[in-house]
Amino acid sequence: MDGSIHINQAVKAEPKQKAANIDYAIQPYVYASVFSSLCIIVGLIWDISWHTSIGRDGLLAPPHDVIYLGAIFAGLFSAYQILRTTFFGSPMEKQSSVKFWGIFYGPLGAMFCIWGAIAMLTSAPFDDWWHNTYGLDVVILSPPHTLLALGMMMIQFGAMIAVLSSLHATKSDNGAMHKWLFVIASGLLLTSFYTLFSEYLNKSRSHSALCYQVGAVLFPLFLIAVVRASKMRWAATATTAVYMFMLCMMLWILPLFHATPRLGPVLNHFDHYQPFHFPLLLVIPALAIDIIFFKLENKKPFIKVLLASLLFLYLFFIVQWFFGGFLQTSPDARNWFFGSNAWYFGANPDWEYRYAFHPDRIDTGLDLVTGMLIASVIAILTGLVGYKWGGWMQKVKR
Amino acid sequence: MRYIKIIFFAGLMFISVSLFAHVGSPGVIYQGKAGPYSIMVNINPPDVIPGTTSISVYINNQQVNHVYLQPVYWYAGDKGSPKSDEALPVNGTPGQYQGIVWLMQSGVASMRITVEGPLGKGSAIIPVMAISTAQRTMPASLDWGLAALGILLVVLMITIIGASVTDGISTPGPQSKPSARKKYIAMGVTALILFGILYGGSAWWNAWSSNYRKFLYKAPLAHTKISVSGGQMVLHLNIDTAWLNKNGQSMNYIIPDHGKLMHLFLIREKTDDVFAHLHPTRKDSINYQVALPDMPAGRYLVFGDIVQWDGFTETISDTLIIPAKPAVQNSPVISNTLYHDPDDTYVISNAINDNKNPFTGKTTLVCGKPGIEMKLADGSSATWQHTANTSFEANKIYPLTFAIKDPSGLPAKLQPYMGMMGHAVILKYDGSVYVHLHPVGTYSMASQEIIQSRINGNGKVPLLPNPKLFIDSIDRLISSIRAMSEDERNAYLNAGMKGMAMPAMDGMVTFPYAFPSPGNYRIWIQMKWDGKILNSAFDAVVQ
Repeated sequence: MDGSIHINQAVKAEPKQKAANIDYAIQPYVYASVFSSLCIIVGLIWDISWHTSIGRDGLLAPPHDVIYLGAIFAGLFSAYQILRTTFFGSPMEKQSSVKFWGIFYGPLGAMFCIWGAIAMLTSAPFDDWWHNTYGLDVVILSPPHTLLALGMMMIQFGAMIAVLSSLHATKSDNGAMHKWLFVIASGLLLTSFYTLFSEYLNKSRSHSALCYQVGAVLFPLFLIAVVRASKMRWAATATTAVYMFMLCMMLWILPLFHATPRLGPVLNHFDHYQPFHFPLLLVIPALAIDIIFFKLENKKPFIKVLLASLLFLYLFFIVQWFFGGFLQTSPDARNWFFGSNAWYFGANPDWEYRYAFHPDRIDTGLDLVTGMLIASVIAILTGLVGYKWGGWMQKVKR
Repeated sequence: MRYIKIIFFAGLMFISVSLFAHVGSPGVIYQGKAGPYSIMVNINPPDVIPGTTSISVYINNQQVNHVYLQPVYWYAGDKGSPKSDEALPVNGTPGQYQGIVWLMQSGVASMRITVEGPLGKGSAIIPVMAISTAQRTMPASLDWGLAALGILLVVLMITIIGASVTDGISTPGPQSKPSARKKYIAMGVTALILFGILYGGSAWWNAWSSNYRKFLYKAPLAHTKISVSGGQMVLHLNIDTAWLNKNGQSMNYIIPDHGKLMHLFLIREKTDDVFAHLHPTRKDSINYQVALPDMPAGRYLVFGDIVQWDGFTETISDTLIIPAKPAVQNSPVISNTLYHDPDDTYVISNAINDNKNPFTGKTTLVCGKPGIEMKLADGSSATWQHTANTSFEANKIYPLTFAIKDPSGLPAKLQPYMGMMGHAVILKYDGSVYVHLHPVGTYSMASQEIIQSRINGNGKVPLLPNPKLFIDSIDRLISSIRAMSEDERNAYLNAGMKGMAMPAMDGMVTFPYAFPSPGNYRIWIQMKWDGKILNSAFDAVVQ
């Protein structure tokens, strides 16, 4: 991957403005925020697998501990960065930071991370009360879980911003490390997006237009933003490769461990973890985004976004339609590598649509064409928003 | 096939002889056997489902190695139950084991308590009704704490977005002068967006709360009224069909307990001085009627205990005004067509705020207190075996033991009353707690038998029987029970108890119970001696 990531010439040419001449090392909070992002995604997928395999948990169940470790790590290191700069930072460091509330100085990334950590910690007593009032978890999305998810993603986004601001302020000798950190941070946030919307993106949905409409909302938005923000040549491909690597690792490692259902009713019996999904093959359509932005570098942004979004969507559609079909229906996918035989303990293992597409989840003919046209419009719009978003991220300096 | 199912469930009913029902007393207490071990179990079911239930198991003077807890739902059966959890010994309390079990779905559930020790392995099934009943509000401290954190998050996010479009993207250095106007516009827009998100979140929360309330357990509604024919007052109980339809429930699948379709208790409101235990007959699936005994006029609390075919037990509540007894009239005497159940009984005691009973006769008494012998109208006596002038602690299990002596002062040779050595009804003075229990505890043996049959069955969820056939089969069963002699009936009712409901007959009966909250309680004890139903009543103070 190292050979596939290069700083675009435009990046080298851009910092002509006279900046404060500070020799920026990568600050500890930058590493900490990326590590926190990793903890969050590992904990999140482990938690989903835990609920699929074991069922019951508590506030301090191991996957929760990993998620909260992420919150605490990001929160403490970011708070330390802000307090150190505020009370012990040199004038130069303060000038390179964001001043807020008349007192504090700190980088934007750290501020995002602190917001995320506070949101996550706030969600804990809120969720505890929620369980006592409306019952223990039976759904993923509830108001306290949404707050938790917002906090988690804010930390992950903070990690991206932390890396970017560090990258934009650094001298070139830290470039490779920054690029690695950035694609890792981006890939981890992409994994979160996928996980939160996996209900609509999983293999059983791959023959419905809704899957591609949801994909059109998420992926052009995020990947085009990443490409523009980083100006790395293969940023989208590398980001999706990180996403696929993370999901594959969780898919392959978790089933190695013992797990049995601890809640009834148990309709599906097993003795090891049921893993989360095999990832979407996003690297292939992401490659198209990178190629378009590289080959058409001097074209108008709208043209680039239009082509990148549509090409991404149609490649995503073609690849995932067939690959999703393979995962859902083929006996060859029911193994440790693809994990298609993973099944919730409370679901009937003999359900007729376990290895087939439910008729309600198949779109064909005009429905499919109409659905994809809608997805196309969505992809273009979110691509444009992503381009603007990436433009902002490109300018983050503090 | 349909008939086979009906026969199968009718068979279950033949061995289902007890009931469990309550208002405001959700704790389940079991006193009985787990194989060779004598155990007492206290289960505190959650008031919100999904939720956790804490379970205490007490083993008296028997060595055991392990105690395991496992939830078994009627719907899921044995095969669908998760792995059991071990209950751990409680430090400082020999013989007590404690554990937690999760109940994830509403409905008829049970706890399987498995005890392992030198005598081998034994288990007991204890039914638990998993239902959501609680409506909680947020404590003020948490409310304010979350509000403060929420404000902090909003202010911090507005700050971050303001900084993101100005300071955050400006080149570091003293010459940097970001646009304040741009910053304030961004902050204003962010504030508006956050307000929208909070408003949406609030609406979502309200919808969630509303949906939760929609699925809260609600006992069936019924309307009771009195009619008079030939000087006989008849109580009519009509179950609200609109309520049934709204909640998707049916009264077609009621099964008998103690050979009765419904156990109806009437207690005069506020004074708690008049108590009746009646057994209405069914005119159709929603209409019940029963001839009223000669009870004083007044406003009465009505509690009707029923059991559904899947073992779900519930209490129908209402209030009823009983008028003064009318003079005999020459109107058609429909009450002669009513079945007069020999197990119907009533008693009049002193009012809760009065130490004397103005009524006289064989159906009257003055309530007893713990530790003091009380004389009954027939010359026998009853004593609550508890230290005099002491109160009880809430949420602590007590063996409520009552000793009955015949008029000669010897322990009374008690006889089964509807198959049990005793029935008790406990009512908190304010009416907020009502429970009907037996010497085996507060659980439903009907549910226990049904869940046990489900465990022993073929693993498939039983299909709902045809309602008409089911009602007919139950009515025939009731008729056949009525036709039995008392000895036959007792033998029949005892058939399913497996020795659990028939403790030694030494004139003493014990009801294990934990008062759920502090306050004043009245307890009615019903036993049978010398062929007559013996009613006694006691008052208790719970701290």
